[in-house]
Parts: sequence; structure tokens; C-alpha cells
Amino acid sequence: MLPSMLFFLSAILLAPFFAALILKVKAFFAGKKGPPLLIQYYTLIKLFQKGSVYSTSTTFIFKLGPVLSFCCALSALMFLPVAGRPALFAFRGDVILVLYLLALGRFFTIAAAMDTASPFQGMGAAREAYFPIICEAAMFLILILLYVLTSNLQIKAFFQGGQPLLLWHKAGSPLMFVVIALFIILLTENARVPVDDPATHLELTMIHEVMVLDHSGPDLAFIELGSFCKLFFYAGLVARLVWPFETGVPALDLLLFFLALLAVYVAVGVMESVMARYRMDKVPKFVLTSFALAFFAVIVTLELAK
Amino acid sequence: MNYIDTLLSLVLLSILFSFGSSRLPVLIRVIGFQGVVVSGLPLFIGNDHSLGGMAFSLITILIRGLVIPLCIYLIIRRVAIRREVAPIFGHHASMLAWLGLIAAAAFIGNKFTLPVATQNVLLMPTAIALVSGGLFLLMGHRNAIAMVLGYIMMENGIYLVGTTFSSRTHHIVEFGILLDVLAGVMIMAIILQNIKQTFDDVDTDLLQTLKE
Repeated sequence: MLPSMLFFLSAILLAPFFAALILKVKAFFAGKKGPPLLIQYYTLIKLFQKGSVYSTSTTFIFKLGPVLSFCCALSALMFLPVAGRPALFAFRGDVILVLYLLALGRFFTIAAAMDTASPFQGMGAAREAYFPIICEAAMFLILILLYVLTSNLQIKAFFQGGQPLLLWHKAGSPLMFVVIALFIILLTENARVPVDDPATHLELTMIHEVMVLDHSGPDLAFIELGSFCKLFFYAGLVARLVWPFETGVPALDLLLFFLALLAVYVAVGVMESVMARYRMDKVPKFVLTSFALAFFAVIVTLELAK
Repeated sequence: MNYIDTLLSLVLLSILFSFGSSRLPVLIRVIGFQGVVVSGLPLFIGNDHSLGGMAFSLITILIRGLVIPLCIYLIIRRVAIRREVAPIFGHHASMLAWLGLIAAAAFIGNKFTLPVATQNVLLMPTAIALVSGGLFLLMGHRNAIAMVLGYIMMENGIYLVGTTFSSRTHHIVEFGILLDVLAGVMIMAIILQNIKQTFDDVDTDLLQTLKE
């Protein structure tokens, strides 16, 4: 229990660091020095020291949104087997709970955005509600695939210990597609570049950023930290699949896991540097690709299982 | 999971690429890749490892993977002004069609009783998906070059079925078909040039204006 607790806390503490890494990679590609690696911590501390400003048109939902979405991201992180170690909680069917915890967080972000009565926020909320629907379909197809392979519905059975390696042995090529599909889901769910540009300044083109425009101070800090945790959660899953090997030496395993995690974040950063954001009508096509890949992986696996 | 199935699943995925892309060079590369995989397979799954068989397979790889795509690429250089070919079906419809096609091919593929038993479960589904995918390309395009490519994809599928049917006389028959295809591609190239000379485009809709 105690090690799991420590891993959970270290995941929260490290999430802003990894998020800053993306900025660093982007700066490197642009030929700039970039912000320091601890920039997100400074931002969070600065935001927590500020006060909040609330519009008169908002209700308690607006104040509730950031806290709830942050809590949802944290509770999802409690189920993540960091570095393949046992997570804080694990029970049968916990995958579905985690997926809906993340969806609940999104719901409250959307509700808070609608609460501001700003047309831009409503627009962002509509987009935020639309794209993850396709993601959810893809995610459940991946779950079906993992269930076929392990006949178990626990995160533990997919990502803990030597389980990822076992998955690769059972169905190597479908899992290759699953990794790509998961990466696309990661980009979409966390509003990264081909889907949404976190650094944009024009409300009309934003998805996630426009929804949090009216939040300030500690509320904004909660939202930021929550999104770092969410990104860490997805990156942790992808990293486990990318580096499924276990050496048997705990310290080395931990190091290798964080290296794999680093690779995933760098991949996100490279993606953001070499690609432009898609036009709004092209985004569903991109997200649908992950669905097609997952669907394809399921069909191939079902064929192989015969 | 062996590497042949991995290759075959990549071929299946390449069908999606050909549905989704609207650029001719991409389509040609997809066709070339399929040709290489499809004609290289007999080297691995057949029992015939004689020198003649190997030579036949290598020549097939050369023709399917290099000569035919190169021919079509040269045609494009000669005739096509636009390299963008917009399919009639939209992106989402094509993707949905692909998913349905894969599912149907996987379902039908297992109903066949093959003369040669094979461990590669994806062989028949891939062959069926290639044939019907080629048909879909043929239906979904008005551009004559894209139609030729659809035809070649269909042919790839037929060849893949052929590899399982006969193990003995297989190469002679296949080689005969291959020469037919090559001749077909050349004839199509000439026709394409003629269409281009008459109409200044390779859109087959323009052929409707032809009168006696």
C-alpha cells in the first residue's frame, strides 16, 4: 500500500515536469532556448497565490467545475499502475470506472464553460463534447481487444508487471495498431496539437483552452494540474505498452519506465513541432482513424484467436 | 502471431490508406507495396522451394512491385495535370466501407475450404478484402488512372487467392496471368493517353459526350 501511495504522489509531482518537457522540445525545434523545465511548477505556485475573479453571470457550477475535474483526474491516476507496480486501487471492471471518471471531469468542465454564458465557451464546449465521443468508441474497442486477449477487465491485467509483454506475445501486430490508436486518443483527450493547439490565442480556433478562459487564480491552477495528471495517465498507459519489458531489478525498471514516459512526451512534443493543427472539419477524420485502427485490431485478433 | 500475418495485416491497412488518400502517388505506392507482399508470399508459404519457383517469385516481385507501379507513375507524368483525385465517396463513408469490408472479409474468409491447408488465418480475408477493395476503388473514382489502380489491386487479391490453390503448376498459370496484367496496364496507358489527347483530362465522365 505504501509504495503504491508513493508512486501515486510521485506521479502527481512529476506530471508538471513532463508537461514542461513538451514545451522544451517545441522550443528546441523552433531553435529557441525555451522555458526552464520547472516552468509549470512556477506557474502553478503563482496561480495558487492569486485570488479568483468570478463573473456575476456564473453560478456555483462555475466554482465547482475546476475542483471536480481536478479530483476526477486525480482519482483516475489512483488506478494507474505506475511503472507496472500495483496501483492504489484495483478491482474487477475498474477500467470502465476510470474511463467514466475522466468523462465526468470533462462533463463538469463543459458545464462550467456553459455556465459563463459566453458564446465562445459554448462553442468550445460543443467541440469538446463531440471529439471525445469518437475517442470513447475507440477506447472501448481497445478494451474489447484487451478483454479478448486476457479475459479480464482490470487495468492490472493489462498494464501491470509482465502483462504488457504477454499481450505483445499473444497479439503483436494488433497491439502495434492499439499503440497508435492510444496515442491518437492521448492527443485528442489532452487537446494536443493536431486536434487542438494549447498555445493558440484565437478563441475561434480553440477547443479546450477556450473553455477555461474565464477561470482564474487557484481555479485555473486546479485545471492545469488536472490536465497534467490526465496527460500523465494516458502517457503512462502508452509507455507501458511501448516498453513492456521487465528486468527484475526494481530500480532499473523504474528508470526504464520513466525513460519510456520521456519518449512518449518527446513524441508528443515532436508531433506538435512538425505538424500544424488540423482544420476543424478534418479533426473528426483524424480521431476516426484511431477508431478504425482499434476496430481493425479487434477483427485481426478475433481472427487469430480462432 | 507470425510475421506473415503481420505483413498481411499491413496489407489490409494499406487498403485503408488507398481509400483515404486522394493523391495518386500515394495510391501507386500502396499498390506497389501490396504487389511486393502478395508476390513474395509464395516464397514463404509454398512447399515449392525449387530454383525455378524462386526465380518465378522474384520476377513476379519485380514486375508487380516495380515495373507496373513505375509504368503508371510514368503515365501520370505524361498525362495527368492534377495529381489530386477526389473520390466520389466522402472520407467517413470510405472509412466505414473499409471497416464493413474487413469485417465481411474476415467472416467470409473462413467459410472457404482451401485445397492447401495454411496456418495463416489472415490469408483468405486479405485476399477477399483486396478484391472487394479494388472494386470499391473502381466504383469510387471517375479518374481513369485511379480506376486502373483499382483494377490492379483487385488483381493482387486474385493472385493471393491463387497462391493457395495450386502448389505444383501454380507458377506457370500465375506467370501467364501476370503477363496479361502487364499487357493490360500497357494497353490502358495507351488508352489513357488517347483520352487525354481528346478531352485534355482523364475523367471518365467525359466519355459520355462521345457520339458516333
